[in-house]
Amino acid sequence: MKVVEATGRTVEEATQKALAEIDLPIERVKVEVVTEPSAGLFGLIGSKQARVRLTEKISPALFMCDFLEQMIARMGLTAEVEVEQTEEILKLSVNGSKMGILIGKRGQTLNALQYLLSVIYHKKFPGQDGRLLLDVENYREKREETLRTLAQNLAKKAVRTQREVVLEPMTPQERRIIHTALQEHTSVTTYSQGSEPYRKVVIAPK
Amino acid sequence: MKVKDLVEFIAKALVDNPEAVHVEQLEDERTITLELRVAADDMGKVIGKQGRIAKAIRTVVNAAAATEKKRVFVEIVQ
Repeated sequence: MKVVEATGRTVEEATQKALAEIDLPIERVKVEVVTEPSAGLFGLIGSKQARVRLTEKISPALFMCDFLEQMIARMGLTAEVEVEQTEEILKLSVNGSKMGILIGKRGQTLNALQYLLSVIYHKKFPGQDGRLLLDVENYREKREETLRTLAQNLAKKAVRTQREVVLEPMTPQERRIIHTALQEHTSVTTYSQGSEPYRKVVIAPK
Repeated sequence: MKVKDLVEFIAKALVDNPEAVHVEQLEDERTITLELRVAADDMGKVIGKQGRIAKAIRTVVNAAAATEKKRVFVEIVQ
């Protein structure tokens, strides 16, 4: 992150000088006036030049990417973080060795990390209303596949036994996968029960 | 790897007064206890609704400490 200070007779002049030095368009910097100019006595004694400080504005995507890299390093792991931003989603993908540590049992650690990162993301960039998603070694995709298979198997069980099947607690994302997988199913319906973070999906025979 | 640094790093990003974040590490043969202190106004920021943030911090710290032989406890103290 670049920081440049410059002086000039006016704030305007100082800003122009600083911009030339930092070599960035004005939209990408934050301008702070450190000292207001003052003419002083007879324009000589005690006159002060304007002093401004320009700080490079860092994009949310880059900030979060860098933050996660530092966090992973402090966990004693080495990994590469890639970031992808669309209008609604900021997606961080991590690849490296010993990534099982970042995923944890049934994605527990991954979900805790994602939660912390999204709290920090919304704190640092209050204007952003999009979601932050974290994935490690394509775990999310694989897990989605597993959940879809699980949903089909448990739906069969619900029909066979004519009893409701209650799943283990899941995150909203994971519950959505189950609901969506069984939306079109002709002989079962799904709903959720309990409150976060213990909310579970129930598969009920129709 | 120092779990203390990890806790400090996460806590500083969550609070409004990062300079008031202090972590003390107490160790015995089997456990490491990390006492996390933050400004009074920031308590909610490291605990979260129903302790959700505190729980997430503990999960991440325990994952990081998995390779160590000791159990790690994170306590938020006033």
